Amino acid sequence: MGRRRVAPAVIAGLLAGLLVGLVAACAPSRAVEPDAPSSPPHAASPRPSPDVTSAAPAPRVPVYDPTAPAQTPSAAPVRLVVPSQHIDMRVVPVGVADDGSMGLSENAFEAGWYEYGPAPGDPAGNAVLAAHVDSVQSGIGPFARLRGVSVGARVEVTDDASDVHRYRVVSVHKIPKDGAPTSSWFDRDGAPRLVLVTCGGEWNAKTRHYADNVVVTAEPTGG
Amino acid sequence: MRARLLAGAVAGTLALAGLAATAGPASAADDAQLSVFHGVPGLTVDVYVNGKLTLDDFKPGKMAGPLDLSAGTYKVAITAADAKDDSKPAIGPVDLKLAAGKNYTAVAHLGTDGKPTATLFTNDTSTTKAGQGRITVRHVANAPAVDVLAGKDAVISGLENPDEKVLDLPAGTVSASVVAAGTTKPALLGPADVKVTEGTNTILYAWGDATTDPSTLALATQMITGLHGNPSGVQAGELGLAADHPTPVWPFALGALALLGVATMAVVRRRVTQED
Repeated sequence: MGRRRVAPAVIAGLLAGLLVGLVAACAPSRAVEPDAPSSPPHAASPRPSPDVTSAAPAPRVPVYDPTAPAQTPSAAPVRLVVPSQHIDMRVVPVGVADDGSMGLSENAFEAGWYEYGPAPGDPAGNAVLAAHVDSVQSGIGPFARLRGVSVGARVEVTDDASDVHRYRVVSVHKIPKDGAPTSSWFDRDGAPRLVLVTCGGEWNAKTRHYADNVVVTAEPTGG
Repeated sequence: MRARLLAGAVAGTLALAGLAATAGPASAADDAQLSVFHGVPGLTVDVYVNGKLTLDDFKPGKMAGPLDLSAGTYKVAITAADAKDDSKPAIGPVDLKLAAGKNYTAVAHLGTDGKPTATLFTNDTSTTKAGQGRITVRHVANAPAVDVLAGKDAVISGLENPDEKVLDLPAGTVSASVVAAGTTKPALLGPADVKVTEGTNTILYAWGDATTDPSTLALATQMITGLHGNPSGVQAGELGLAADHPTPVWPFALGALALLGVATMAVVRRRVTQED
């Protein structure tokens, strides 16, 4: 009996070793992606002002108290569900990484919302949610199934006010990172959209980055 | 058209009469943007542009604008609020040269001699890095040189009337105070929480008069939004396990299988040996 227990223990130990080996081999370097696309400068668009060229009736000069306005932040998204792909993830606010790319949760089971851009439910612009397709901390995450999403699929985002924002997928693309249209993903002025981003394509073992981004765009269904 | 617009202005509206009359059908990109800040304490004024009343009964601490104007030079005169015309200006007349595509704030303020003057500032509307905001500090007060402290550290030193300093900072909140240059207290202004808003140039004006008792020093805030840059990309994978051809996995898997085989054989052999 005692001997029978030995073999599974050895196998378990080997499997543990295998996992350690994998993680060690795949530990990310902090090297900056050499071919990371840099976004073109965004045109400055200061707030709209009266159109002085159409002069009848004469425009009024807005006069105001120059104080910092009390800001009412948008409700932050907290949950993302894509039923057809069995994706149901927590959403956390993220900013910018040291290398200038979008910051992400180290947990591939958590999607990051780009907190400086629009939130789901805002009247204009893209709410960008991104998650690691796989990460050191958590292995392969739900966004590995993002590439399998179909056009027309339902997507739901719940915000911290418990409002549910419903979307319908309008496009699914795998795009080389080199030259990817990042400025259009992060657009703040166009029609409201939800943009889900992860990685895909070939793995570059030198740069420790995937070659492509998988980008799912969805539009509000108004439901 | 000029006549009608002028009539509107005389009728007491805050009409952009003189300016609109000079504006052609140019696109917005060819225009300059102008805001006007009134930073002379205790003086309500009228503002004349190219001889025409443009801002009526403009009060201290107020901001007007922004206005889209054709590029060009504008003659601005600031008079007492009860003046009949701009023949006896309290400030100016000054020529404001506005270039296409630029963003300006003209400030009526006190000099360090206590007399009203005007300064034209060009607002920095260049793109900010993703995750950063811009803070511009302008000294337009009758006060000596100042330092601006963020917490206890001087982030701006020796700023004099009518100069400015521009800083790009990570978005967030900074506790800032204004002190006489080379000191840390007492605070002339603040401490106050200053929000560094991502993609926004937050322009702070220290205005008023520090030589009066009580001091009329005050802070005004102008914000220019929409300057944000975007993240350079999305690096959303660390392992290569979800790649189209996840090559890194196989050597390890094969190696593990081989090890597993060796181990199993060892176990089996030992078992065989013991059973002998």
